[in-house]
Amino acid sequence: MKYLRGSLVVLVAWYLLALAVHSPIIPYPHAVFVFLLRSMQKSKTYLHLAFSLYRILMGMALALLFAIPTGMVAGRTKRLDQIISPVLYLLYPLPKIAFLPVFMVLFGIGELSKIILIAVIIFFPAAVTIRDGVKEIPPDYLQLAQAYHLSPKQVTRALIWPAILPRIFSSLRITLGISLSVLFISENYASTFGLGYYIMNNWIMAQYVGMYAGIVLLSLLGLALYVALDGLERLVIPPQTR
Amino acid sequence: MLSIKDAGLRYGSKVAFSNFSLEVEEGGMVSIIGTSGSGKTSLLYAIASLLPLSEGSISAPEQCSIMFQQDRLLPWMRVIDNVILGLPKQMRKEGEQLLSLMGLLERRESYPKQLSGGERQRIALARSLIRNPRLLLLDEPFASLDEQTRERLQDEVKTYVRERGITLLMVTHSIKEAVFMGERIVVMTPGGISHETANPYHGVGDLRSSIEAFALERELRSHLGGKA
Repeated sequence: MKYLRGSLVVLVAWYLLALAVHSPIIPYPHAVFVFLLRSMQKSKTYLHLAFSLYRILMGMALALLFAIPTGMVAGRTKRLDQIISPVLYLLYPLPKIAFLPVFMVLFGIGELSKIILIAVIIFFPAAVTIRDGVKEIPPDYLQLAQAYHLSPKQVTRALIWPAILPRIFSSLRITLGISLSVLFISENYASTFGLGYYIMNNWIMAQYVGMYAGIVLLSLLGLALYVALDGLERLVIPPQTR
Repeated sequence: MLSIKDAGLRYGSKVAFSNFSLEVEEGGMVSIIGTSGSGKTSLLYAIASLLPLSEGSISAPEQCSIMFQQDRLLPWMRVIDNVILGLPKQMRKEGEQLLSLMGLLERRESYPKQLSGGERQRIALARSLIRNPRLLLLDEPFASLDEQTRERLQDEVKTYVRERGITLLMVTHSIKEAVFMGERIVVMTPGGISHETANPYHGVGDLRSSIEAFALERELRSHLGGKA
């Protein structure tokens, strides 16, 4: 329901804009949706969607694979954090997209360079938030663990993991928008599939309605991922525990 | 059982407590009473090896459980998992037995946030008892509870500890609680023990409303600097 209301607001704004500009460069929503519905009957559209989804999910997974241990170590060990945090802060503001050519040379022009680009973008905010999650574990709980002689492994399972789990979800939520935008750019080279390619291809062919259809699909993919993230979070972190 | 010799603890230049000596025999029940800042919580933490002593020595049994002032239940774990925190899964049965003893068996799959303050402290108590302590350290765990709940929990702990011969060391700022729980009562100041008394009425049935207990309370109150 709340998504329906949100879509309505966007639609009204879009109509007003199309009316005001009155040019093929901003087509009316209904034209775009008719095009979209028609293209949804073609299997190729699903392939574009599937490729983009695959790259995003792999990028997330790869980012977390490195961000979780980095954040945990930085949050737990002061001495290592004195090295890790400055490095994170130095590299975080770099425009990752500028390194796209480097990634292409190092990891090829196929899937890997695209996935790594997304992963690098998600990695920094994720590592920083996970580190803070570990740091913010109440000292009372750590003392409890000490009093009851929990092993380091038990401390990780009973205290650290539950503390970083919500942080993982919020870092994914925060980076989802930018990952999708970057995905668009990375799908502009050496791709024949992906929503980025779909959008660009329609643009080059001056097929503006198709271009907008791709943009709508990208936005719907974002929405679906947000809804899925929220649902997954509710599933793994029961509301009674918050 | 528990032997504390000339123990002292400082944080930088601030003295938490000093010059503290106490011997507690097996099965003894001792209340330590003191005003805020008398170092009683620091002493308890030092006995539980949570804080290092600055001077003196403490010899305490390995099987020692501490119960904190706040329940410190982990909100993301179910009640039963909180009880067996740090123990193997096979302890679940023992955990459930303890919970049923406390009348909380049907709450075993709940989360701490779904429980009342009294229930939460009971769970915390179960968590410290499941380790089969020979020495139980209580850091005024009932202070935040309403009076009825507090008295019921005091009764339960006292009975449990006496039946099993567990040694009890409790710190509190409540004179009533000190008298009810301790067969020996020690008044603590940062400079050491300022007064010590036996509590011959410890085993008496309705201790809370006995005249003798009132007299003892008055004596302690005067030693704590209040009006006698």
